[in-house]
Amino acid sequence: MVEPSAKQTHANGQALREAPPSLESSLRFVEVKRYGKLARYLFWTLTVSGAALLTAYLVPPVWLLELQYVAALALFAVATNLLVGYGGMVSFGQAAYYGLGAYTIALAWLHFKAPFWPCFLLTPLVGAAAAFAVGFIALRTRHLYFALLTLAFAQLFYTIAEQQYDITNGATGIFGIGIPATLMDPQKGFLFVFAVAALALLALWKITTSPFGLTLRAIRENRVRAETLGVNVFRHELLAFVIAGAFSALAGGLFIIHDQAAYPELLDWTKSGEPIFMLVLGGMNSFLGPVLGAFVYQISHELIVQHLKDWQLVLGLVVLLIVLFMPEGIVGLFNRTMWQRWLGKHAAKSPAAQKQPHAPAA
Amino acid sequence: MLEVEEIHTYYGESHVLQGISLSVNEGEVVALLGRNGAGKTTTMRSLIGLTPPRRGRVKFFDKDITNLQTYQIARLGIAFVPSGRRVFNSLNVEQNLKLAAAAAHPLADRRWTMDSVFELFPKLAELRTRRAGFLSGGEQQMLKLGCALLANPKLLLLDEPSEGLSPAIVGQLGEWLRKLKHKGLSILLSEQNALFALRLAERGYVLEKGRVQYHAPADELLNSAQVRAYLGVKFVEAS
Amino acid sequence: MTTAGGLFIIAAGLTLVFGAMRIANIAHGSFYMYGAFLVSTLVSTFGSTAFWVSLVAAPLAVAALGFAMEVLVLRRVYDKDHLTQLLATYAMFLIFADLALRFWGAQSRAVAAPAILSGSIQVGGASFPVYNLFVVVVAALVGLGLWALLRFTLLGWRIVAAVEDPEMLAAKGTNVRMLYTVVFTLGAFLAGLGGAVIAPLQSIDTGLDASIIVAAFIVVVIGGLGSVAGAALGALIVGLFEALGILWTPAWAPAFIYLAMIVVLQVRPSGIFGVAETPW
Repeated sequence: MVEPSAKQTHANGQALREAPPSLESSLRFVEVKRYGKLARYLFWTLTVSGAALLTAYLVPPVWLLELQYVAALALFAVATNLLVGYGGMVSFGQAAYYGLGAYTIALAWLHFKAPFWPCFLLTPLVGAAAAFAVGFIALRTRHLYFALLTLAFAQLFYTIAEQQYDITNGATGIFGIGIPATLMDPQKGFLFVFAVAALALLALWKITTSPFGLTLRAIRENRVRAETLGVNVFRHELLAFVIAGAFSALAGGLFIIHDQAAYPELLDWTKSGEPIFMLVLGGMNSFLGPVLGAFVYQISHELIVQHLKDWQLVLGLVVLLIVLFMPEGIVGLFNRTMWQRWLGKHAAKSPAAQKQPHAPAA
Repeated sequence: MLEVEEIHTYYGESHVLQGISLSVNEGEVVALLGRNGAGKTTTMRSLIGLTPPRRGRVKFFDKDITNLQTYQIARLGIAFVPSGRRVFNSLNVEQNLKLAAAAAHPLADRRWTMDSVFELFPKLAELRTRRAGFLSGGEQQMLKLGCALLANPKLLLLDEPSEGLSPAIVGQLGEWLRKLKHKGLSILLSEQNALFALRLAERGYVLEKGRVQYHAPADELLNSAQVRAYLGVKFVEAS
Repeated sequence: MTTAGGLFIIAAGLTLVFGAMRIANIAHGSFYMYGAFLVSTLVSTFGSTAFWVSLVAAPLAVAALGFAMEVLVLRRVYDKDHLTQLLATYAMFLIFADLALRFWGAQSRAVAAPAILSGSIQVGGASFPVYNLFVVVVAALVGLGLWALLRFTLLGWRIVAAVEDPEMLAAKGTNVRMLYTVVFTLGAFLAGLGGAVIAPLQSIDTGLDASIIVAAFIVVVIGGLGSVAGAALGALIVGLFEALGILWTPAWAPAFIYLAMIVVLQVRPSGIFGVAETPW
């Protein structure tokens, strides 16, 4: 079974494929090229913050709270996509770090009445530390075993949160966590959450385009080849796992601003499924796909729940349809048809359009 | 009986077979030669439908089998014997054989039975209840051949049978294959050990980078300086 | 032992599907839950004598559901990567969950065991509930049946062969796709049977699917994919860990089985009875 892929390496020299064109690269056409790099940053900063301010003042407070949640989930989904989409590591236990981020603030508040800010800043560190410990063990296995091991660890955290009543309030959870008054205000809260999520996404974007991020993709595409090129696969994957854990925990911290509560369901395996649904919904071949996925997921959740109780049914059907017929998610639809046609750019048949999100790894 | 016309096979994006044509006539032994990675195994896998070709055609007794499922092709009378130790390790010898026998076409004449296979390989009869995973390399080779025969195939695809065997067993293998040949079985035999293959075969194809480089009768290939130079390493090893 | 017995029945089906088809079927938990719900419906409709019939009827109905799922959904994802497969079964899990909520509502139900199986018997000074013994007996029968199937029948050998090397199996003339349908239906039947047998022992509600599937996966992974003997041993280990956990520190008990799995995978990465290398 190993032979074919080994041959593949021999047969085509360019095994490390180009990254599939993504929404961002399509969007880059919108930019005005002549102004150069600095202008580009300025342009995007202004656009994004402008959009945020507009949203903050135009959208009713109820929906702003919802958008806080979307921002947290978007960060969670993109962090998970670093593993699943870029690294080809299907972790089914990312809720552990998300929940741990939330519980970090919650527990510190519950037991020590610790102030919010230092705890909030601590969340990524806690997430990173836990991810390091788990990844160190789980990354020795691969594929489904890896998925199940990460799941087992997440369930371990879950049972601790659920059973240790003295420490965590058990299944009841911790409610009414004190956060700074400014953040309680929907508008300011939204702007803060949005800013943190945007900066975190920028950092993640930098990571995915860095040599480290490219190596990670190379490992996903062809692990054996990466190994023969002298890449320490385990360390790269571990680092990716730690980074994803840190940002997931940060997202959990943002969740506290939205909800001021922490409960065991945040750590449950079904919660780990959510970011995966989001990135499948949005498309995992692109950086911003999961953001779109998080938005669509959460907003449609809110809308559907108001009218119909069968949210899971709808979600299941949609995921099934996407999995069966639209392997690139919503963004894939954009990439393939709309943008290219709109821009009159049909030269490069997007390679992503021809293949599945993952080439079967060796 | 077997006609392969210009097949192109891909693994994912990589274009492995770039237009291979070959044929096997009834009662003939044909060798498929080439270095590691030349496309021998892929050719075999394409014929049996494990990696179906994207373009080109495979015909078996004038029936187009290019797009048939592997099991359908197998039931038409093509038995594939893979290289290496691919027997079902957790089944015992008898179970392996019976499983293989179930593949025989219902109308095929049952020339090979359990008894005649045990006659050819008496060792297997002794090892009946041993798990295939615990057999030696040579014994596994017997089992693989026995399984293939029990399917009562019209054509045998042998992928690198000598690979990983000790020289003594390779000699034995040659004996067995000669016997099968005398019984009129058609064989397509892929080998890195060109000398071994060409001593058995009537004709040979030399593959390189997914294409047929040379095609000639076996003795001609053996005497061609060019081919010798290309496959030379193996000649030295074999002799 | 009772936990182990019930877990074994479920995990045996899961391990066959997992091993032979390389599909981690999350919806296996749904099948289990449906088995339990169907028994509760049949018993509450037709009275407690219907229990015996439902013990067969419920698993059969669930098997039909499994058959439909295989034909309509899974067949389309066999040649996709494992994330896609996982998502497909997860999606089915969600769909089944909401459908169950529609049919049976959010309230939890209870099923009374028939009179013969109620009460308890004295064995060597200790008293055991009769029903718990019944569960162990059913589990033993299932184990025996599967052992005979895999040992003596052509179908069984094909399943074993599919666990090891589906490609070669196809090359030997087996219609592997059809085999998958059979295996998946059998797996669903076992899950349904597990749910049906366990029904009188616990309250039946819509959270059953999510809670059982994780335990079943752990059993399967501990035992080794595709190994029925492994599933039996895995179920015993998990049952034992849980029992010991409850004796020592009740609050930490549920954590023990996860630790058990993590430890086993460190020592034997392919499970106790797993085939040495995992093919994917």
